[in-house]
Amino acid sequence: MESPVKRTVASRVAAMLVLCAFLSVPGWSQSQPSEETTQFFRQNCASCHTIGGGPLAGPDLKGAHERREAKWLTAFIQNPKQIIDGGDPVAAALVRDARGVVMPTIPGIDASLAEKLVALIAAESALERSAFAGLQISDRALTEEDVRQGERLFLGRAAFASGAPPCISCHAVEGIAGLGGGRIGPDLTEVYARLEGRKALAAWLSAPPSPVMQPVFSRQGLDSDEVLALVAYLKDAANSGAAQAAPNTLKLVLGGVLGALALLVLFDIVWRKRYRATRRPLVHLPRRRVAAEIHS
Amino acid sequence: MDVRSQISMVFHLDKCIGCHTCSIACKNVWTDREGTDYMWWNNVETKPGTGYPTKWEDQEAYKGGWKSDGKELELRSTSKKKIVPNIFHNPSMPSMDDYYEPWTYDYKELFNAPEGDDQPTARPISMITGDPIEIQAGPNWDDDLGGSKVYAANDPNLSVLSDQQRQQMQAIERLVMFYLPRICNHCLNPSCVASCPSGAMYKRGEDGIVLINQDRCRAWRACVSACPYKKTYYNWSTGKSEKCILCFPRLESGQAPACFHSCVGRIRYLGNVLYDADAMRAAALRPDNELVDAQRELILDPNDPAVVEAALRSGVSENVIDSARRSPVYRFAKEWKLGLPLHVEYRTFPMLFYVPPLLPVMSVSDGALVRSDVDALFADIEKARAPIEYMGKLFGAGNSGKVRYALRKQLAVRIWRRHVTVGDVTAEAASKALLEADCTVEQADAIYRLSTLATWEDRFVIPPFQREAAMEMMVDPHEHRAGAGFGFREAPRRS
Repeated sequence: MESPVKRTVASRVAAMLVLCAFLSVPGWSQSQPSEETTQFFRQNCASCHTIGGGPLAGPDLKGAHERREAKWLTAFIQNPKQIIDGGDPVAAALVRDARGVVMPTIPGIDASLAEKLVALIAAESALERSAFAGLQISDRALTEEDVRQGERLFLGRAAFASGAPPCISCHAVEGIAGLGGGRIGPDLTEVYARLEGRKALAAWLSAPPSPVMQPVFSRQGLDSDEVLALVAYLKDAANSGAAQAAPNTLKLVLGGVLGALALLVLFDIVWRKRYRATRRPLVHLPRRRVAAEIHS
Repeated sequence: MDVRSQISMVFHLDKCIGCHTCSIACKNVWTDREGTDYMWWNNVETKPGTGYPTKWEDQEAYKGGWKSDGKELELRSTSKKKIVPNIFHNPSMPSMDDYYEPWTYDYKELFNAPEGDDQPTARPISMITGDPIEIQAGPNWDDDLGGSKVYAANDPNLSVLSDQQRQQMQAIERLVMFYLPRICNHCLNPSCVASCPSGAMYKRGEDGIVLINQDRCRAWRACVSACPYKKTYYNWSTGKSEKCILCFPRLESGQAPACFHSCVGRIRYLGNVLYDADAMRAAALRPDNELVDAQRELILDPNDPAVVEAALRSGVSENVIDSARRSPVYRFAKEWKLGLPLHVEYRTFPMLFYVPPLLPVMSVSDGALVRSDVDALFADIEKARAPIEYMGKLFGAGNSGKVRYALRKQLAVRIWRRHVTVGDVTAEAASKALLEADCTVEQADAIYRLSTLATWEDRFVIPPFQREAAMEMMVDPHEHRAGAGFGFREAPRRS
């Protein structure tokens, strides 16, 4: 005799199986990429990849789901370095095409997110013009005024509209300001050449994907005029032919020591009337005077 | 009118013999612990002299007390603005050298010395480092050094004298000195309390004793700079500041403070007075030469019905008011105008009053002899050995008239008593002296009796403390009811 309890359990299992089957239908999920996945792609992928907009630092992803197996794609998205190091021929070819630029491992990607990203690529590839077909950066010729505005933005003399921190707080460019800018991020003198030009650099600046910059600039992005000005400035820096600045440790240490000494001297002058001692000068000065009187 | 009660004191300097018994009594009771070894909550100084710590009266160096432009009262040492740039080091504090490096002796060298031709000696050992030291100074290093070119000549109060007067004070046989015992003045307007950034210092509501909460003190040492009398001290062992507590545990059990109780010359008087806290701000803004009067006006007559009514309204109880009526301080400071505050120009309104000493101003030198006949002993105080201006700087904020009045009255009382007991002064001369000194016969007798014959009960009129009522204002007495014990208290200690 079947118990009512067992019957209930069996019906629940059946219902869950039906639900799972429904959810795993690929066509359904492809047609509806969630808002979070789109947002993730914009913040983490769009700076190197377009969908139908041509290659940036990384290849154009239009039709990637047709060129490669879904399994390979999800594995690569989750950990590119492992696949490349594993000697995968396809990956090696990709690295060669990208002139040695290796896709960074993006934190927070698990298998389910990778699957959703592949689904997103498929969905966007199907569209005539994808939302990720490349940035709407003007193609106009860069002027001297752009270079000057870019320098002002880099130095922080002109503020970014969103309130984002100026580049110089973390980055240096050879020949900029006295001490050459910050040393937290890489030197940007040759970044224009390194990223292969205007389009890729602009894409990077529009949504910086590095782990340090991403959390800051995802909230306070740069607008397209600012990006263009910075590209102009960095292009100018790269074309000036200057090599990357070498940090001058000796100069920095010597400057620090001399500065500290100057401060101490300044403090001593400013607070020259501070309290020093009462009893000692009172007792010792007359003694010296008496001794002087005896000797004279 | 906000009437409050304040425990107040009188030191009769004419009776002080400079024996330091008070200092020793205090040291043995309160400051024989590590870190307090250099402190002398009670000390006795020789005047003219530089005192302890050296030249404490020099507020150009130490920045103690208040300054006033007639409209605002400001601390000389600190302010909300100054505390920030001085956050790592409080300036204008006496150094260890200005107090003195406390020492003991290595007595083992006496007891364990091998037999030999020489006397064994005990070397002085620093109580700070434990190493042998060469003693440079002590808390009464200039004791009795009236004419010292280093100590007496550098007394900051001599600045009011002319060069000629200063030279006269240094001249052989004109040398003059007297003793000045000092404790915390438990001021009405304490600059130490005002300066404390931690809110650790307070003035007890029921008796005005100024105390430092050892739990809340955070070692800023702002009080050390701000106190113009240099009577708060920093304990380097516990990292807290400490000061004279007027032996409040003794007072609460009806005993006089240790220094008062032990005083050999019986120079010390203690009792409470009523004062008007509302009038204090206006009084503190008065010009220097009016400050003695301003402080006297703050002290209220406990027999005045209006005062009594206001006092009861402010929560001063009937028996505290009654105690104020019998207070010897009220009579000396307010009624007889003999008691004068020390350096009232610091505008803290010190509640320790000094009866200025007659002794150093009396007697006349005649060639090599000091004359001791009646005419010389009762000579006009204007011909005094110690210039009145010097006393005026100490006790009258530069107004030597206040000192002159007090000295004249004391002198008149002596002349009157000479007439009564010896009889070689005529009644007319004695009455004339009293009249000139603004003194009646009854008052002269009362001054004589309280100065010379006073018993313990006359000198120390300790008000009932009623701690139970005072405590209820701050804590709930039932808080620990039916609980086990009162919790744990830790001794202050550097962590």
